[in-house]
Formats: sequence, C-alpha cells, structure tokens
Amino acid sequence: MSAAEHAPAPDDDLPLDAETTRHLLAKLNLAIAVVRPGAWTVAYENAKFFQWFPGTGEDDETLASRVPGLPLDRLGERMERGRPFSFETEAKAGGRPVPVKLEFRPLVDGGPSDILVECASISKQKEAEYMLESYSKLAERNTRELQKEKDRVEKLLLNIMPKSVYEEMKDYGTTTPQRFEQATVLMLDFVDFTDMTVSRDPGPLIAELNDIFSAFDRIVEMFDCERIKTIGDAYMAVAGMPEANPDHAANIAKVALRMRRYLDRRNAALPEPWLCRIGINTGPLIGSIVGINKYVYDIFGPAVNLAARMEQLSEPRQITVCDDTYTLLKDDFMLIDRGEYEIKGFGTKRLYFLESEQG
Amino acid sequence: MASMFEKYGGFASVSRIVSTFYDRLLESPQLAGYFEGVDMRNLIDHQTKFIAQVMGGPASYTNEQLQRVHAPHRINQAAFEETAMVLQEALEDHGVEDEDVRAIMNQVAARSSYVVST
Repeated sequence: MSAAEHAPAPDDDLPLDAETTRHLLAKLNLAIAVVRPGAWTVAYENAKFFQWFPGTGEDDETLASRVPGLPLDRLGERMERGRPFSFETEAKAGGRPVPVKLEFRPLVDGGPSDILVECASISKQKEAEYMLESYSKLAERNTRELQKEKDRVEKLLLNIMPKSVYEEMKDYGTTTPQRFEQATVLMLDFVDFTDMTVSRDPGPLIAELNDIFSAFDRIVEMFDCERIKTIGDAYMAVAGMPEANPDHAANIAKVALRMRRYLDRRNAALPEPWLCRIGINTGPLIGSIVGINKYVYDIFGPAVNLAARMEQLSEPRQITVCDDTYTLLKDDFMLIDRGEYEIKGFGTKRLYFLESEQG
Repeated sequence: MASMFEKYGGFASVSRIVSTFYDRLLESPQLAGYFEGVDMRNLIDHQTKFIAQVMGGPASYTNEQLQRVHAPHRINQAAFEETAMVLQEALEDHGVEDEDVRAIMNQVAARSSYVVST
C-alpha cells in the first residue's frame, strides 16, 4: 500500500498504523532516533537522522561513531539519573555542514529505558548569533574608541584648567569666575633666557626647557598646587585655589625650594646651567576661564601682579617673598630679611629671601 | 585574565546556554507553572544578561533587583534547586568546563536568599 492512498479525507481521523507512522517520521524535517543505552546502538532512526549522521551500515555500529565528539560518559550518567542532555555538532547535508542540536531524553520517564534522540537544525539560530556577536563587537569597539577620545580630550583640558573647573565646565557648559580670599602665587623665570634663545641651538634649548617645566609640573602636583600657565620661560603656579587650602603659603614655599634644588642638581650634572628667579606673594585673587574658542584658565588681581614684582626683584637662585607671605612662613621656614623696597603701585614693602624649611 | 564571559565567546554563547536552559525549564512539570503568562522574550533577555554577569560580563543586577523581581512568584527552595540543576546541565551541555560550572553555580547559590521567598 502506498502512502498516497493513506492521504486522509478532511473529515477522517488519520489511521495511525505502522505504515503511516513510518511515513510521517520519514517526512519529518527533524532527525529522530531511538538508542539503546550501554551498547549505544541505534534501534530506530528516521530518514533525516540517517541523512545527517550516515553510518557504515554495520550492525554493531554505535552512536558515538556516527556523531563524532559525543561525550558518552556524560550522556550515560545523565540518562541514568533520568535527566535530559543536549549536544551541538555539525551534520552533513549534501556535502554542506549544518549546525544541529541533539537532544537526548529517556523514552520512558523514570527507570531504565531506551533513549529518544531528537535533532534539529540550528543554522538560523547560528546565523542570528553570528550577527549578534559581530554587531556587539562593533558596538564595543566604537565605545572603546569613543572612551579613548574622551580620555584624550579630558587630558588635554586638564592641562589648561584645574580639575574642579573642568568638572564645572563639563556639567554646566560654562564656568563662573571665582574670588579666592587667600591664595599664594609663585612666579619663576630664568636669568638670561633671552640671550640663550639667541646663542643656543633652539631644538635642544626648548627640549631642556620642556624637561625642566615637566619636572616643575610634577613638583607642583606633589604639593596640591596648580600650574596656571607658562609664558615663554616664565612659569606660574598657585596654591589655595580652586580648593581652599590653609597651607597655601607653606605648600608654595616647599614647591619653590624643590624647584631650586631640582635646578641645582640638574646644573651639577649637565653642561648648560639654568638659573631661576622666583617670586612669591600671598593675597586675594580671581580665577576664571577666559576666551571663548581658545580659552585658558587664568588668575587675576593684585596678588598676581605683586608676585610678578617679587620675581623681578629676586636674584639668581633666590626666592623672594614680602610681608604677607612672610607672616605665614616665618614659623616653619628660614627667611633672610632684605630690607624695605619701594614697589611701584604697592608702596613700601619689606622683602625676604626664602632659604630653607626648618626641622 | 580573560573573564569566563570572554572565554566562552561572549553574549552569543551565553544566549545559547540560556535558550537551552529555558527550553528545559518549560518542559519541567515542577517549574513550568512559574512561567504562565510571563513574557518569555523579556525574561530570557534579562536572564541572558544575568548569566553574562555571573560569568564576568558587562551587565550588573543588584541583589535588591533580584529580590524585587522574584518576590511576586513566591519561589520555594525546591524550585530554586531544580532550576539551578537545569542551569548546571545547560552549562555542561554547552561545553563549559566543570571548574567554571562550579564557579557559576556558586555565584547562583549565593543569591538564593534573594530569589527564594517561601
């Protein structure tokens, strides 16, 4: 009897005799088999199973030789406990590999029994996974690059403004100028730098200046001070802003002493000497970003101007301060009185050389 | 050191494991009831991210979140243990090494008090 004769009329129930069942199973797009546990021989298989896992046709052929890589130990252990097991592999269909998933479960619940094997193609799932993976890699790469760019920009901006000002800029898109009642400003420049620019090779000269300023940056950072800017050979740093700090004068004094010591050591080791002049002054000042497209963070006020005067009145290798800073330093530092000086715009001031830290 | 998440091939692999896991959960007479009327797409999405998390991937669910989403389902210890066993089997079936399976299952077991509520 051919299968066609079994085609049911719409009203009839399908007569599920052995022939029809075999025919149905043969037509399935799913591979099905029944396996004997222990011996692992295939007791039944439909056409799809035979097509996907063709064997040699030997009677004693086991499942393992038809499904390469199948972990029989684990499968056996799972079946004994009556639990399901699944395994993904590739089947062959017309010379083309098809990703498939085999699912094993005991044919009869509870107790030893034959094992039902169902196997379906998972190629659509694999394609979707592949797409998901390549897409998430793409997204990850973009995120990484974006983060790298963001870090780079942040680093650049932190070079020209203090962190708290940068945070304010980032959060609000703008910053407000701030007045700081007590801050200490350090100004430094190099003796005869203008002559050096004429007499020396510009490449090495600027490389040395760069080395020195980089060392100064590290010292400034070490004592919670801020480098404000450099103008040519001049270097300006401040303490006590943007975060108030009661030790602003002492911190700047420590920075100044360490800058001088760094240069002394450098000059002892290298042929071309660099002599600095340092001026320090304490007072109120304003800190703000200025400029729109080319902005810099800068500080303004008499305290800044007076620090510049201190520097001009300083001597090679000397650190000059006046009364206001002296009052804050005198307990912890050695200072030498230089006498009174008339300072344009500021009247008469008593000046001191900062010598060293006490104790 | 690469996380398990990376070691086993990232999100796509975790999604495969979780897919097997849910197929089995829905087949289990003991557990299927918990999933009646549940939007499985949404659940599988969260579960995939959660498993990715315990394997060292990018997601991050807090214990409070776990507690909040599980509390209405009144899950008992036996259901939790059965679910854990199904997960363990799904991990094993997808070739996760025994040692890593243990590490993941420890992470899961450590959160049982946030999932079990009766």
